[in-house]
Amino acid sequence: MDALLNHPAIQAAAAPFLAGLITAGLLYRARMGGLAVVAGFAAAVALISGFNFSPLTATRKIVLLGLLAPAMGLALDWFAKPSRLLNTALALLAAAASIWVFWSVLVQKELADALRLGAIVAASTGITVALTLSLTARPVRLAAAGLCLGLGAGIAAVLAASALYGQYGIAVGAACGAVLLLQMVLGRAVPTGITFALSASLLAGLFGAAAMLLASLHWTALALLCLAPLAARLPLPKKMPVWLEAIVVALFCMLPAMAAFYLTWTSAHGSQG
Amino acid sequence: MSKLAVAIVAAALPFGALAAPESYTMDPYHTYPNFEVDHLGYSKMRGRFDKSAGKFTIDTAAKTGSLDLTVQTASISTGDNDKGTRPRARDEHLRTADFFNVAEFPTMTYKATTVRFSGDNVTSVEGNLTLLGVTKPLTLSVEGWKCGPHPVSKRAMCGANAQGTFKRSDFGMKFGVPGVGDEIKLWVEVEGFKD
Repeated sequence: MDALLNHPAIQAAAAPFLAGLITAGLLYRARMGGLAVVAGFAAAVALISGFNFSPLTATRKIVLLGLLAPAMGLALDWFAKPSRLLNTALALLAAAASIWVFWSVLVQKELADALRLGAIVAASTGITVALTLSLTARPVRLAAAGLCLGLGAGIAAVLAASALYGQYGIAVGAACGAVLLLQMVLGRAVPTGITFALSASLLAGLFGAAAMLLASLHWTALALLCLAPLAARLPLPKKMPVWLEAIVVALFCMLPAMAAFYLTWTSAHGSQG
Repeated sequence: MSKLAVAIVAAALPFGALAAPESYTMDPYHTYPNFEVDHLGYSKMRGRFDKSAGKFTIDTAAKTGSLDLTVQTASISTGDNDKGTRPRARDEHLRTADFFNVAEFPTMTYKATTVRFSGDNVTSVEGNLTLLGVTKPLTLSVEGWKCGPHPVSKRAMCGANAQGTFKRSDFGMKFGVPGVGDEIKLWVEVEGFKD
């Protein structure tokens, strides 16, 4: 059993997918299917590293934010109306949170480097969150974007020399994929709200940024990963079945991610920005 | 009276100097930690840190001492620094947050709290290893402790080989366990010149 639970594919893909699927299946009628992301992510954390927050490293701060984001998302889903202003505020909050996450890394760099890398991290996280939140009213596209963001950040991180961030990113993608699969099986959109959008985008954005700062992902690859939710907005025929829409949107979302993989693979050793 | 006092002080000086703790600065070219870790149960992978610095003091009369070693974690080398056609080289991977997280924790330190002697020779050092922001006690056994003049420069120096064992997971470095072993065998070759 231990050998099974220690297998990277179980930790990063199978367990998060199952946890996400069960959570979404049980809670979607209560409009809390968005909790699937945190369920899948928490399963991965439990299996990979455990819930330890001391010392509070950048990675542990990401885990902490990943656990707190859905709480904020649920509150907003219940008490706030989706709006551009709200999305902008959340994106700015996410950008600020990214600086807090990587503060211990940034302060050790030369001022010019710290400013440049801090700006890249804040911008990429904020843009990823903003673009993903803009899909909240379109749950199929949102889930497809989450799938691509998670897998994109995860696979790019593996190529950039961090298997740990790779596992975490893929876990987010697997949980989002579970929600996408549920909608394909049900044949209809399942609203997952800000809870889903904020959790998936914040985690994927931060793990991508971590792969740049703490491994060797190039900033241009990180910028490409941000475009996945933008690709999910492509126009499609209105009467397209949900399963087909899910597949087509996911394929489109993967294009920028694939470009990021290519860039990461071909860069000799990568560089930080 | 004053002449007598001066004479007493002058006579006592050599003994005072003998009893005083002697301070040494580690020679970075002959001081480096190296380690061994199990790989998938098939082999023992070995590596070293190329850059380290520190100081130690020894008081053979009082049987006390101290040691302060700082290791640059980015200087890790296991002989695999060229990724070739692979996605990453092993040393590159070891520098990421999966293992040593060098961007966030550029150094690891060992600070001795107690130095044990057998006669005038140091036999073990008890202290704390700080790795990835976590501090845990670690005892190093010391072999071949020797002090004397450098054969060429004649500068006073001491040297020894220290070794100890710890679990990396105790410091939060859990990635790859158990495939990549949890137990780390650590050796530190130390040479230091008297300040």
